[in-house]
Amino acid sequence: MNAIANFQAASVEDLLSAAQRLRQGIPGDLHEHVVEAIYGDAARIADRAVTRPGAPARPAVDRTIDRIVTSRVWGFPIMLVLFTVVFWVTISGANVPSQMISSVLVDRLYPWLRETAASVGLPWWLRGVLIDGMYLATAWVVSVMLPPMAIFFPLFTLLEDLGYLPRVAFNLDNLFKKAGAHGKQSMSMMMGFGCNAAGVVATRIIDSPRERLLAIITNNFALCNGRWPTQVLMATVFIGCLAPSHLGGLTAAVAVTAVAALGVGMTFLVSWGLSRSVLRGEVSTFSLELPPYRPPRLWQTLYSSLIDRTIFVLWRAVVFALPAGAVIWLFANVRIGGVSLANYAIDWLNPVGVLLGLNGVILLAYIIAIPANEIVIPTVLMLTVMVTGMTGLGHGAGVMFDLRDEATLKTLLQAGGWTTLTAVNLMLFSLLHNPCSTTIYTIYKETGSRRWTVVASLLPLALGVVVCAAVAAVWRWLG
Amino acid sequence: MSGWLFLAGLAVVAFPALVWPRRGLLARWRASLAWSARVHREDALKHILKCEANQEVPTLISVAGALQKGQRQVAALLADMEAHGLVSFSDGRLRLREPGHELALHVIRAHRLWESYLADQTGVAEAEWHRQADRQEHLLSPQQISALAAALGNPTRDPHGDAIPDATGELPAEPGQPLGATEINTPVMITHIEDEPEAIYAQLTAQGLRAGMKVCVLEKSPERIRFWADGREHVLAPIFANNIAVSALREFRPADLFEEEYLAGLQRGQVAKVIGLSPACRGAERRRLLDLGFVPGTSVEVDLVSPTGDPTAYRVRGTVVALRREQAGLVRIATERRIAA
Amino acid sequence: MNTSASTSLSTTAAPPSKVCADCQVYRAARLKKLGVAVDKWDYIVALAGNPNTGKSTVFNALTGLRQHTGNWPGKTVTRAEGGFEYAGRRFKLVDLPGTYSLLSTSVDEQVARDFILFGRPDVTVIVVDATRLERNLNLALQVLEITDRAVVCVNLIDEARRHGVQVDDRQLARDLGVPAVPTSARHGEGLPALLEAVSEVASGRLICRPHRLAAEPPAIRDAVRELRARIQAAYPHLPNVRWLALRLLGGDEHIAEALRRGEFAGLETESRLEAADASDAQPQLTVP
Repeated sequence: MNAIANFQAASVEDLLSAAQRLRQGIPGDLHEHVVEAIYGDAARIADRAVTRPGAPARPAVDRTIDRIVTSRVWGFPIMLVLFTVVFWVTISGANVPSQMISSVLVDRLYPWLRETAASVGLPWWLRGVLIDGMYLATAWVVSVMLPPMAIFFPLFTLLEDLGYLPRVAFNLDNLFKKAGAHGKQSMSMMMGFGCNAAGVVATRIIDSPRERLLAIITNNFALCNGRWPTQVLMATVFIGCLAPSHLGGLTAAVAVTAVAALGVGMTFLVSWGLSRSVLRGEVSTFSLELPPYRPPRLWQTLYSSLIDRTIFVLWRAVVFALPAGAVIWLFANVRIGGVSLANYAIDWLNPVGVLLGLNGVILLAYIIAIPANEIVIPTVLMLTVMVTGMTGLGHGAGVMFDLRDEATLKTLLQAGGWTTLTAVNLMLFSLLHNPCSTTIYTIYKETGSRRWTVVASLLPLALGVVVCAAVAAVWRWLG
Repeated sequence: MSGWLFLAGLAVVAFPALVWPRRGLLARWRASLAWSARVHREDALKHILKCEANQEVPTLISVAGALQKGQRQVAALLADMEAHGLVSFSDGRLRLREPGHELALHVIRAHRLWESYLADQTGVAEAEWHRQADRQEHLLSPQQISALAAALGNPTRDPHGDAIPDATGELPAEPGQPLGATEINTPVMITHIEDEPEAIYAQLTAQGLRAGMKVCVLEKSPERIRFWADGREHVLAPIFANNIAVSALREFRPADLFEEEYLAGLQRGQVAKVIGLSPACRGAERRRLLDLGFVPGTSVEVDLVSPTGDPTAYRVRGTVVALRREQAGLVRIATERRIAA
Repeated sequence: MNTSASTSLSTTAAPPSKVCADCQVYRAARLKKLGVAVDKWDYIVALAGNPNTGKSTVFNALTGLRQHTGNWPGKTVTRAEGGFEYAGRRFKLVDLPGTYSLLSTSVDEQVARDFILFGRPDVTVIVVDATRLERNLNLALQVLEITDRAVVCVNLIDEARRHGVQVDDRQLARDLGVPAVPTSARHGEGLPALLEAVSEVASGRLICRPHRLAAEPPAIRDAVRELRARIQAAYPHLPNVRWLALRLLGGDEHIAEALRRGEFAGLETESRLEAADASDAQPQLTVP
């Protein structure tokens, strides 16, 4: 038996050395010879099997559509209109269901849960952790996150199934090429406006390693759905009022758009920088196939995008929101020497916060609300009430809440020491800070690398700190 | 008193920093000396082996030239190498002895494999290949080199067209003659681009010259050589041109070279056949283009042009594939007009 | 992500929607979708194909799972598995990453190739896009060089019709030497025939004589011939000698390593296929 094995091993080595010797004598590229031969056969076989009874190579309609959507005149306007419609439908369509879910989960179910828990006789701290903390944070994330995603993702998926998105990548590639990136990054970026975690997953369509890493690392600069409310709130309450009242709304809108545009600018800038420094050594190939248009299957699309994207992202967010809710509640309620942990933390963070033109409350909120950007504002409000000691607002320590009345909100925040600078820098910091933990986890899953996860997490944070500190310094110097 | 105390404290801190094994300044200084001695020794061996392979006679002066060191220093180096049994002087000739030959072969193999690795498996810019390989060649062990060769699919040629030698055996001679020595108007092919000295090599690659390209000299004078390569004209000083080795291409006419067409130049409405991919298209990129159907004989035409003029989508093998302009510039084609002619 | 999401939800896989309730798959009534619940199986079926050919749609249609599909090359990155029962037999279906080729060295291609070669699937279903047949045949022919148990699924036949393209599947089957079934997986069209073909090949009732490259390219002919002779001497019953010779000439260390470990010895088949590898043999489909 052993002899046979030995004989086989010897013959294998013979075989391999013969192969090694023979390949020295092959002229040119073997791969090329083989592929050429295979394509030769493929062409012959396809030719015999395929008949086109009088039809052109591609249907005239598809060709005309392609000419229009990639034309010099119409290419960009069509893109702009389509995406504006998608975002408009998402934002305006999400409001109503968002409030419905919120009224059920927060306004009805939450008090009922509290009462039930009290009547069952749960100790107050357990009630706090479970209901005020975990339940409320999760309910918040679901009500803010679910409706826009349930609208945005199916719409996006419809465009995808139709085959329009590769044309967008085709149109925008030159722009991305200048930043060292791939045209398909426009897609993951667009997706990032819905949710960064989904955007990171969407980078899978980029098959070149370097460009894919770029798209993953810079995805966070696309202002996600969870950060829009922060932007809108700050812009309407603090910036809109700087302009004459009839222009208030417009000014606020311009401010928010400017921040989103800054994010896009950052995407290009950081892509450019990274592709010329850290990522220089990664392999880069470009290929972009433009598939034929296919009429999408409406119901299948809705179903699969709901399952694959919306529920998936939501589930990850919920998993991270549960412990965060508990942490937030505990921070506000665990007291050492009569002072809550949150108060200690805010005192420590305040000097840094002031240096950045923010304050300790905001920094603490960003630290403990890392699982989802959606709960940053409720946490900020809760903490501000706690710090200022205002009465008649909110529901007590550790219980997040929202205010729908702008005037009260402004009074509260001003009592907390907020100025226009704070609002501006909060808008900037909301754009430029570490991705939420859902996204960080997704980045780790997609890259499989700790190094790139750390880079993707800390780079935006570092940029945010620098930008905020600079703005604060200039602001104070001018004013 | 306090002054003494300070000095004593300083000594306590400084002494270990100076003599600490492996991390101390002294150890580092010795390591760097040993490193540079090793680099010089291996570079000298490399030079001698290359001379032997090309039937040239290595001398003290030529070694000093290759190492860019003084002759006295090199003489000491060679004496040391002789003492270690790497080289021998007999009949006034410098020769490699067996261990020296083996080591030199290893270093050259390491260098060329590392360049192949950089070219095929990373996105490192071409201008940096040589410099990085020049460092790695002294660091890699024979086992690492074998593993690298295996991972690369045991390539036989490095990106400059040089043969990668086996771990044992001989270094093949570099084929071809210097570009400066070729006749005017005779098509030749680049077989090798010498990567020493680095400044000249960097200039040649910056001009886009690669092994495997077809070249035709248009004009020669003591000051400059004007030639055609890969679809455009180049001008080089003779000292540069002589670092390019070429060999004859019999079946080509000069006209074939001048009329070479590239996919990037294809106009809307024209149909063309792919002739092949330029040698400058390498690694993953080359394989991808082949797999997508850009193989010789494939018919291509322009389907769509991006609003900004780049990229362009081509119809190929019944599909529509977009290529950037630089990529399309690497695909050689013949338009129908020429096929007819 | 696709796998995790669809895995967790597969147990609640929706009842057949209206669209599919009257399609042929259900009328056939011999198909039972098993989702991910395949612990015991009679046959393994691999699903290979170019990116964006509707491979995932075929997978979903057969298993009842909901892998996300999109009109984009490269949606399925990970390997997905599912199962179905047909005519009393349990099949495990493995969806391989979509690739343009099996010759290059990217991770996707290696995963796909290794599974077809060493995973020893009973049938490899090669999904090709009817509207882009020529390019898709590049991969199909490469797969047929490796394995002799294959079925070609000419998908997106509805799109082809819309584009005015007709595919003669009988001619294709004759030329490729394996069954070729026109389907439109999105509409459930042609799936009964596909299942039938898969089950015929899996059970050995149908013996394929797959197309092998008509001739080696002249530049490498001698080298291939010599190496083939040597391989044949060492492994007389290997079904894919020429392919192996080409891989070794290409310096594929992955394959050389497998050879050293003796994995190819296990791939030798009974004598029924010996002749199939001779490059001059006409491919043909034998239906008993």
